[in-house]
Amino acid sequence: MTQKEVVIGHRLGIHARAAARLVQLSSQYQSTIVLFRSDAEKALEADARSILSILLLSAGFGTTVGVRADGVDENQAVDTICEYLTG
Amino acid sequence: MNKEHVIHGIVASVGTAIGKAVRTFDPLFVSFNIKLRPDQVRKEVERFRESVEKSREQLRRMQTELKRKSSAESSFLIDAHLLVLQDRLFVNRIIEKVETEYINSEWAIQQVSDDLFQAYDRLSDEYLRERRGDLDDIVRRLLHNLQSKPLPSFKKLPYDAILVGKLVPPSTLFELRTQRIVGLATETGSPLSHTAIMARSLEIPAVVGAAELSEVASGDLLIVDGERGVVIRSPSEETLAAYKNRDRDGKKTRKKAGASVSAPSVTEDSVRISLGANINFSEEVRSAIVHGCESIGLYRTEFDFFREGKQPDEESLVADYSLVLKAAKGAPVTFRTIDVGIDQKSWDGVNMNLGVRGLRFCLENQEIFKKQLRSIYRASVNGPTRILLPFVSSVDDLDAAHAILDEVRRELNSRRQTYDANVPVGVMIETPAAAQTCDLMASRVDFFCLGTNDLIQYYLVIDRSDQSVAHLYNPFHPAILRCLHQVYTLLRPTGKPITVCGEMAADPPSAAVLLGLGFTSLSVSLAAYPRIKRMIRSVSMAQLKDLASQILKMTKPKEVEEKVRATVYRT
Repeated sequence: MTQKEVVIGHRLGIHARAAARLVQLSSQYQSTIVLFRSDAEKALEADARSILSILLLSAGFGTTVGVRADGVDENQAVDTICEYLTG
Repeated sequence: MNKEHVIHGIVASVGTAIGKAVRTFDPLFVSFNIKLRPDQVRKEVERFRESVEKSREQLRRMQTELKRKSSAESSFLIDAHLLVLQDRLFVNRIIEKVETEYINSEWAIQQVSDDLFQAYDRLSDEYLRERRGDLDDIVRRLLHNLQSKPLPSFKKLPYDAILVGKLVPPSTLFELRTQRIVGLATETGSPLSHTAIMARSLEIPAVVGAAELSEVASGDLLIVDGERGVVIRSPSEETLAAYKNRDRDGKKTRKKAGASVSAPSVTEDSVRISLGANINFSEEVRSAIVHGCESIGLYRTEFDFFREGKQPDEESLVADYSLVLKAAKGAPVTFRTIDVGIDQKSWDGVNMNLGVRGLRFCLENQEIFKKQLRSIYRASVNGPTRILLPFVSSVDDLDAAHAILDEVRRELNSRRQTYDANVPVGVMIETPAAAQTCDLMASRVDFFCLGTNDLIQYYLVIDRSDQSVAHLYNPFHPAILRCLHQVYTLLRPTGKPITVCGEMAADPPSAAVLLGLGFTSLSVSLAAYPRIKRMIRSVSMAQLKDLASQILKMTKPKEVEEKVRATVYRT
């Protein structure tokens, strides 16, 4: 399992356009990929391949989000996703 | 016949449309909930999958068409819809419910989507809450496809129709585009909603967030004024005539204007008038250029700036502004820096017309201001760029803005970023203070823009969103004519160019007055572009100058207006 935290630097935060791209990116990997927010009152997790759950994370610009992947290509997956989220 | 009623909303897509209301009702779903026998489950899941497949097929067709029409901006909406249809959180949960609870697909869809709707409603982010509409759109589509009935469609309408609803889904608007839908008006929604984006892509005039529309019934005659952000129900003969006269039939002129794109904006006596386009959203640049606009005279950047989320980052802004400049294909683009608190709608619902808005906001929120300026400068390598500062009320304000501009350029230099260091900087004259002192500002700026909407409001002390005084708003008031004449006289010796970009430039009679007073550069919304070009080509400058000197001596607005109309519409 690989895990990393990033601050959302994407202008829109994770909104429709960005979320759609994120799903497309995540779908290229075999690992399971989870985004999570530990700053919220209640810990929130989202499946990176589910646009609905990503949107529900409601992670705007400047929010800190964790990316966790588990699988054969977990390192690459976490790197790519983090790079995208940093903007 | 009902009495004329003006319903206030928010501009979502420019243009004016006249037509009969057609209400879109939430389709009546016979919400039959059935418990299945275990042996029926497999077939039910099959039925659901077919509905998903069918929906996907429909969406793909829409997307192909959108891409062909090069409305790439809106094709991403369909991407999001398609992704929902393959979302495990949605699709798999529905199947799971069918399989484990032995219920029919409709019931399962409703349960799963209700959960999601509730989750969306709890979000505090306005933009994200709007996305509830996307989910709603998909749920409808699935339910319809399950019932294997064709999606609700209007039979070819025998008249021009204005689509009215609480919320019209973007896909409905798209699917009905071949019908005679000339306008759109919704009770809820915002200019950020996907329906609004779709309306702009399809160039359908739209007003959203007009709550009082709930009283409108199908068949009511409506005017959608996507310039003022109002819908007029049962307009009086007089109002109707005024709108028809102004646009003489919006739809046709738009097409005809396309044909006369190349016709120069020159008066009968060969005086060249520069005519630019005002835009609120980046999507409009493409159509402005297609319609032959020679410049983007005013790009009100706050709408795109606050479009999604509150804090855009520099890189995305640079990318957005570069796209705008590239789409303009060499036509100069005037970026008016964010004017928060513009018009009746301010960001926090407080009337800030006399408070912190425009440059005042920028000077108090320097980080935002600097970020925007850096982005405009960095994008400036892609085409002729101008920076316009709104709501300036003193030379001190202007000096403060210049200090920031200098700082921004120094920063870009130290970052070794390429940009056009000679981007002209201009000032918006829209406060009485600026109108009185524009000559004192002249040596500090490269150009001026005259924002008549605010200027008139401040001069005549009229808040146009206040129904009880709105009728007093009048560009033909002698106070306004004198003010304009004064600005022209003060600025003429300075040689600084000046463009008029308020609504006064968008209505042929008042625009003619501007020409007569000496202003030879106007910038108007796309909707007004054809009629103003037509007006310019039909008047003689000599005659308008004569007209101007006559009306400057008149005492009453009514008198002025009659005289002007008689001259402009002489034929």
